[in-house]
Amino acid sequence: MELFLMALTTGIMVGGIYALVALGWVLIYKCSGVLNLAMGELTLIGAYTSLGFYSMGIPFLLSLLFSLIIGLILGILTERIFLDKLIGEPVLTVIMVTVGLSFFFKGTVEFIWGVDTKVFDPSVFPIEPIRLGPLIIGQVYLWSFLAAMILLVIFVCFFKYTRWGLAMQATADDEMAALSLGISARFVYAAAWAIAFMAAGVGGTLLGNINGLNISVGYLGLLVLPAVVLGGLNSVPGAIVGGIIIGVLENFSGTYLDKYFPGGVKEIAPFAFMAIFLLFKPYGLWGWERIERV
Amino acid sequence: MSTTWLPCGDYHQSYREDHAWFQTAFIKGKMFILAVVLLVFVPWLADSYWISVCNQVGYTVLGALGVQLLIGFCGQVTLGHAAFIAVGAYTSTLLILEFPWPRFILDIGLAYPISIGAAAVVAGFWSVLFGLPSARVKGFYLILTTMAAQFITVDFIITQYVSQIGGRGQAFSLPPGTIKIGPWVIDSDIKVYYMMIVLSTLCIMGIANLLRSRAGRAWVAIRDNDISAEVMGINIIKYKLLAFFVAGAIGGVAGAFWISNLAAISPEHFTWFWSLWLVGVILIGGVGSIHGAIFGSIFMVVVMELLQLAVMPLAGEYPKLLMDFLFVKEAAFGLAICIFMIFEPNGLAYRWWQVKNYFNLWPFSY
Repeated sequence: MELFLMALTTGIMVGGIYALVALGWVLIYKCSGVLNLAMGELTLIGAYTSLGFYSMGIPFLLSLLFSLIIGLILGILTERIFLDKLIGEPVLTVIMVTVGLSFFFKGTVEFIWGVDTKVFDPSVFPIEPIRLGPLIIGQVYLWSFLAAMILLVIFVCFFKYTRWGLAMQATADDEMAALSLGISARFVYAAAWAIAFMAAGVGGTLLGNINGLNISVGYLGLLVLPAVVLGGLNSVPGAIVGGIIIGVLENFSGTYLDKYFPGGVKEIAPFAFMAIFLLFKPYGLWGWERIERV
Repeated sequence: MSTTWLPCGDYHQSYREDHAWFQTAFIKGKMFILAVVLLVFVPWLADSYWISVCNQVGYTVLGALGVQLLIGFCGQVTLGHAAFIAVGAYTSTLLILEFPWPRFILDIGLAYPISIGAAAVVAGFWSVLFGLPSARVKGFYLILTTMAAQFITVDFIITQYVSQIGGRGQAFSLPPGTIKIGPWVIDSDIKVYYMMIVLSTLCIMGIANLLRSRAGRAWVAIRDNDISAEVMGINIIKYKLLAFFVAGAIGGVAGAFWISNLAAISPEHFTWFWSLWLVGVILIGGVGSIHGAIFGSIFMVVVMELLQLAVMPLAGEYPKLLMDFLFVKEAAFGLAICIFMIFEPNGLAYRWWQVKNYFNLWPFSY
């Protein structure tokens, strides 16, 4: 029972970070229809820049802020240089451009920072675990979860109550109608990429705090895919729920299945689950079902 | 991409001519020269470094052909082809190492050829297994299932279980002399080169022939619009799975071929990066043409080698460039894909087609 609770809480807390990154993914897809396979590299860039600032001696929150600003600039640049020219191209073309971008970013990150694991030093969050009844939770997990939740709330408020957020929602809903109302679609695309960059950067930074930062943090970007498929590609609540479910699933399979399949079952379980899930519910939990006509 | 036009004044006079492999005497001559260059001049003139580059091109061609078949001709996007290549390589290796071959088969050197065939069949069926979701999902969702194929096959099954067979731990190494076709032991780059030429010629001809058969036309119909293909009476599930089988089988041949060139076979040779690399190769070469797979392979491999040569002189001042060349290569590859997709979405094969038509129709292009 305790094992179960432990796996559940850890899963939910890590899942919160996945949810944050998945939100960025869904945002790009909703606003501009781009299926982004470079999400993992966006997390890497954000994580490494904030680590770079932090190791220069800048306080953690400030370095996170700087990395957010850099993410904003990079997001707008990426959209303007690469994705802007591809509006209306076939899906495979756009996907492969994001794959190309992911190689480009990954190669650059590896070239600049190398492949060795780096840690936030001195560690940002206290190491002593917190005891909640029978549960023992590392403070890193707790704070990361809280930070992810706060950011999720900020993002959701941004979409619901600000002018820009409403413009993005309108574009996602019906691009033609939004254009005729005077919303600049190009601005919305750029904003979506910028927000995705920032969300991914925060997610990467938090994950880097948990296990140390190396290139495998970029694997998170792949885990986002099962999460968004589970929730439905174009649903923001779906992305959040999907992220948390994937986090829980990952930890459960790590806890319970590892006995039977020793080795990397934890990394594989979300993908295996996703492949089976797709057979039964191809549009996810809350995705729009697309009806095709010839 | 439509067919190439004939030079003016050349007309087909029978259906037989219309469907001929080599349509004019000129093309026959060109093919003969190509064969002479590949079989005589390249091994004669190139040193062993460039021969090994050629072998890498051949391996990429074999791998990319299957991807081209799935993406370019059947419209089923796959990002997990390295998994099937890995299945082929491991099947072949395990058969050679562990299977109790009868004495006479070993004596006449049939073990390796048989294992190539077995690798093709096993990889084909493995590919069909992961092609099954294509019956229900398509587009982006299919991409995700093929990605799942990659992670489940290479990162889980092969790394955790298959590598343990025989208690060797991570890597299998083939003792010298075990890779043997008939009386020839494949132990030098030049022999691998000849084997590569034979295998890739066979595979290219096989695919080209399949594409002008009933199955090939069904694949193209499914690619263009699967719903209308179904309405026309094509059993789309059957043909999609057939495409997965053929693509997996060619991947298996590629894997079984490549073990002749590798000192040790380990999962690191078949990462997700390699799957994406193959897709990038056909995108740069041109989607939907066999030329595309070949041009893309030549372009990517040779350009990367040239990039390495270009980096060499800079290494004196920036040693990091050469030390971390792998990462430079990765970034360059990513940038190349982006640039090609944005500025030349039809790929190199399209330019080739344009040039060929220009000369075919010259000087009277009417």
